[in-house]
Amino acid sequence: MTMSSNALCFGDEFSASGIPCLVHIEGHGLTITFPPDHDGGESRSESVSFSALTVSAGGLDHDQLVLTWTGLAGQRTLYLKNPDVIRVFRQAAPDHLTMPLEHAAAQVRQVRQRHRAVWTIVGAILVTLVLGLWFGSDGLVELAVNRIPVEWENKLGESAYRDFLIHQDVVKEGPAVDAVTEMVRRLAKPIPDNPYTFNITVVKSDVVNAFALPGGYIVVFTGLMKKAENAEEVAGVLAHELNHVLQRHGLERIVKQLGFVAVVSIVLGNPPGLGGVMKQLGVELMTLKFGRAQETEADVTGLQLLYQAKINPEGMITFFQRLAEKDEGRVEWFSTHPMSSGRAERLKIELAAMPKPTLEPFSFEWAKIRTSLGPSTSSSP
Amino acid sequence: MKSEILYPGAFPMVRIELAEGEKIKAESGAMVACSPTIDIESKMEGGFLGALSRKFLTGEKFFFQTLRASRGAGEVLLASTVPGEVVVLELDGVNEYMVQKDGFLAGADGVTIDSQMQSMTRGLLGGEGFFLLKMSGKGMLVLNSFGAIHKIELKPGQEYIVDNSHLVAWSSTTSYNIEKATSGWVASFTSGEGFVCRFRGPGIVFIQSRNPGGFGAWVRQFIPVSE
Repeated sequence: MTMSSNALCFGDEFSASGIPCLVHIEGHGLTITFPPDHDGGESRSESVSFSALTVSAGGLDHDQLVLTWTGLAGQRTLYLKNPDVIRVFRQAAPDHLTMPLEHAAAQVRQVRQRHRAVWTIVGAILVTLVLGLWFGSDGLVELAVNRIPVEWENKLGESAYRDFLIHQDVVKEGPAVDAVTEMVRRLAKPIPDNPYTFNITVVKSDVVNAFALPGGYIVVFTGLMKKAENAEEVAGVLAHELNHVLQRHGLERIVKQLGFVAVVSIVLGNPPGLGGVMKQLGVELMTLKFGRAQETEADVTGLQLLYQAKINPEGMITFFQRLAEKDEGRVEWFSTHPMSSGRAERLKIELAAMPKPTLEPFSFEWAKIRTSLGPSTSSSP
Repeated sequence: MKSEILYPGAFPMVRIELAEGEKIKAESGAMVACSPTIDIESKMEGGFLGALSRKFLTGEKFFFQTLRASRGAGEVLLASTVPGEVVVLELDGVNEYMVQKDGFLAGADGVTIDSQMQSMTRGLLGGEGFFLLKMSGKGMLVLNSFGAIHKIELKPGQEYIVDNSHLVAWSSTTSYNIEKATSGWVASFTSGEGFVCRFRGPGIVFIQSRNPGGFGAWVRQFIPVSE
């Protein structure tokens, strides 16, 4: 005969894992039917009246109903887990068991509430930590970066600069080099207490770009100069790059990335597989967000620098507008740079708030500089 | 379905005979050899989300392998990665076992594997992590350990203290508290035990005679540090 069990019974003569049994709840109490032995015996039953039972909550999570009594065969303990059986038992139980049943139910509720409360607190702490890291990290990074001497920054920038230039076709002299040198000299002049000596290099490449390394090493590609319609546009980009150096953005980025990786590693450990991917993704998104904030800062301070150097700030805006034409399909969230159209709009607002600049022209003619660079190609980054 | 433990001791292997159509699930990589009638499938037990939660929460593998005797009766030989004993249990639909993450080797198709969250104290201090595998359902369950497996049988109300890193599995009718090994905090850690679990019966607790973390720390001191 096969029977499906709905409870576990423990007793002196049973094994420690308990005997599965079938519990029937009747008017007077319980009937417990044990399965037949392996050697082919008959199934046997025991009955116990409600008056003999003591009731409590038990099991790993206190979610099982434990009934205890002393019968002819000694002490018996019954573990009920099936919710239907527990419900029938509660309905059939006489008044004197109501109190202990309520007590057991209260115990289960208490355990669940405590679990929920603790997990809510832990969840809240985690969320606070993530939000704190997202919004409050900039101040911490600034503090750390301020303690790093400029000489260290110079060494860092110089080694990266040399590594980069090994494989590049550098324009050593000529009108293009003279033009950018003049621009940088004029831009650097109004900077108070400038600890950096700017090193500017023109690299022959059709890439429309320029970048700054920590310590004042700036690289301009000829592609950018060919793309610019006037000297003010190039000066706009240079003002932006000089401000990356002045605001120590490269260093901030290194500190932030290192610090963020350390914090995430402490919180998440070194999770394998998908956990590791999530960790990597979190670090990347954080770096990108930081990148966009830095670009915006360099734009705004760059505009002010152009104004102080008496160079027309409109150039910066027109250059971004031209770049915006290529932005279609790019998603800002996944970029280190804000969208060019947004940058141009923001700069227009900033510029509108400034008094009218007094302008001083450059000593060179931009058309001649462009011609010296050779014919323009359509390739872009 | 019949099972037999071959070479009992440190390097055992489990032979499971399957009738045509029968199948078992085993930890990914557990199969050593099998009859040509057996098909090996990779399965995400409990669906994608179940597998994902198990992978994330308990550190168990994302996939289990299913070994099915689809082309006639056959046998499979299973073994665990670490040296240690195996034990075969029979689940009858009523008893359930909580198993630490490396303890599962194989189970009959009727055995359900869930990840279950523990309380904060148990999760933080128990050394098993916040999530454990809960084995329920009906059929054979094969557990493996690091070192020998020792079975502790607890009568109702009987208590026993186990160092948390030696736990393999325990029945869900037991309850346990985490406590310091000795009455003082400093002595608890200098005694080398730190936290221990005080189990209370009824039920069965399976423990392993060696502690994998302790063994790892011992081996680490002999590994030369790479430049």
